[in-house]
Amino acid sequence: MSWNRSLKSRKSRQPESAIQVSQLDPTNKAEPGLDLLRLPLIGSLLKQRHARTLLQIPLFVIAVAMILHGLFGPQLAPRNLATTLTWVHFRGALILVLLLAGNFFCLACPFMLVRNFARKFFRPALNWPRYLRNKWLSVGLFVGMLFLYEWLDLWASPWWTAWLIVAYFAGALVIDSVFKHATFCKFVCPIGQFNFVASTVSPLEVAVRDTDVCTRCTTKDCIRGVREPAAPLVVIQRGCELALFQPRKVGNIDCTFCLDCVQACPHDNVGILSRVPATELANDTLRSGLGFLSRRKDLAALTIIFAFGALLNAFAMVSPVYAFEQWIARRLGVTTEAPVLATVFGLFLVVEPVLLIGAAAWLTRLWDRSKRSLIALAVRYTYSLVPLGFGIWLAHYSFHFLTGLFTFIPVTQAAVAELGSAILGQPQWTLVGLPVNVVQVFEVGFILLGLFGSLLTSYLLAATDRMVRVFIPWAVLALIIAGAALWVMSQPMEMRGLVLGSG
Amino acid sequence: MLLCGCRHENAPAKQHLTIAYEVSPLPARVGDVTITIRMKDAGSNEPIAGARIKLEGNMSHAGMAPVFADAKEIGPGQYRTNMKLSMAGDWYVLVHLTLADGRELEQEFEIKEVAPA
Repeated sequence: MSWNRSLKSRKSRQPESAIQVSQLDPTNKAEPGLDLLRLPLIGSLLKQRHARTLLQIPLFVIAVAMILHGLFGPQLAPRNLATTLTWVHFRGALILVLLLAGNFFCLACPFMLVRNFARKFFRPALNWPRYLRNKWLSVGLFVGMLFLYEWLDLWASPWWTAWLIVAYFAGALVIDSVFKHATFCKFVCPIGQFNFVASTVSPLEVAVRDTDVCTRCTTKDCIRGVREPAAPLVVIQRGCELALFQPRKVGNIDCTFCLDCVQACPHDNVGILSRVPATELANDTLRSGLGFLSRRKDLAALTIIFAFGALLNAFAMVSPVYAFEQWIARRLGVTTEAPVLATVFGLFLVVEPVLLIGAAAWLTRLWDRSKRSLIALAVRYTYSLVPLGFGIWLAHYSFHFLTGLFTFIPVTQAAVAELGSAILGQPQWTLVGLPVNVVQVFEVGFILLGLFGSLLTSYLLAATDRMVRVFIPWAVLALIIAGAALWVMSQPMEMRGLVLGSG
Repeated sequence: MLLCGCRHENAPAKQHLTIAYEVSPLPARVGDVTITIRMKDAGSNEPIAGARIKLEGNMSHAGMAPVFADAKEIGPGQYRTNMKLSMAGDWYVLVHLTLADGRELEQEFEIKEVAPA
């Protein structure tokens, strides 16, 4: 795999901390625990050769229904499948599954169903350009997605939501029809990047059961794929398309749970194993397909967008944001929304992280008398913000999911009725979800859980660097962000487009 | 109260009716608002009496609890109800009308920028 080759040169420069932290390797294959693939029923289902396709087909059908309803159905968001399922149910289910299990959305991703079908006709010939083999493009797309969400009021627009889903299908189809491997998943898809970062706090990981088996293995089918014995160039079961070599894979980043490695391993030595959530963030050993986390500025940037974007996305749904935006509009002397939003995004995703993380990194260097640069320290410790960012996303998305839990029922009933069928009966519009005051308790709990995870991760990082006192600035940073998140969640919600000049 | 409310004059429904909506107070805040609906015949300008009117308020974001209200006729062609807006933001009110002759109509109007309580 060409992606692996680019990582080989890094091996000889393993950082000192990587050697120390290896004792804390959360993916220690000797640890016995739950193996999802060895559970009755679910294990045998997931090990089926076409398990992924079976999971993708229902999501594909739902996605098509969402697109059609978004384009041709009622344009009131609470009455439309595109907006209801995307912004209430999909996001909520996604984050809860990541919390309770792992990256199972990528496993069932309907975009890949279409892409896999297309690859029966189009065999990609090109490699993704070397200068794009990082997360910078997807960081930009992730920010772009968050921006479009606010600018186009995607949450209120079935039509734009439908086109967004179409764009994802088209993006996956075009990119993976031209470029080899899982280029779209690894380097482009913003949802995928969100899932990769978020799944670092998941309790399950696709991992090797017994490393000794891998040591003795001569075929390495998990990465090369299973070849036709008589024609070695013919792949009859592909290996990992994301360049994750199982024996050296660490953690969940870049793993789509596609289970190709499970299918390819001739020794049945790959499982979906339980682990301690988030501890992989403090692990700086060489990772197959990724290198060292401490050297990946692009991954650290993705983490910053993940953590501070969670705060921004939540802030955008509460009342104070409108007064803040009106104030910015007056200061800028503009009456259009885009420059105001761009300023808010700049403040939240650039200025705020630079100031807060910069200050924490500066104190770290000062207290430790470290010779490492501010950037190096910032990159290393930024990963500690993932659990807190996850907690904020979880609080936000689960709020919509739980308070609107049953709303898909009347919307589906109405959509079927629009087709002239009474099979599902009259829409039960009174079906909603859990009371807001109950869900708010969960919100606070999720943020505090994320804060606990971030404190633990920054302590582990500081401990492995043998400079525990530098835990303090990163703990204070996490407390500041958690405090801000709790303040946002305590504000009255307000759902509307921005009308400049009215306030 | 009605004088300070907002007024929406909708296009005639099926070329027969003119329907006007008034919301007060304005700007609306989270909590109770009074909605008054006036219906008249587009041709004769006569008030339309005896209609049954159900209102359903929705937020612009999916998944939010809708609020419901039934309007009562308070005078010839004039109907009124209170609706409890549970959240700040933009509200879209669907109006389900059943006329005295059994015809059913559905209309929609907006209550923009409802402020926090």
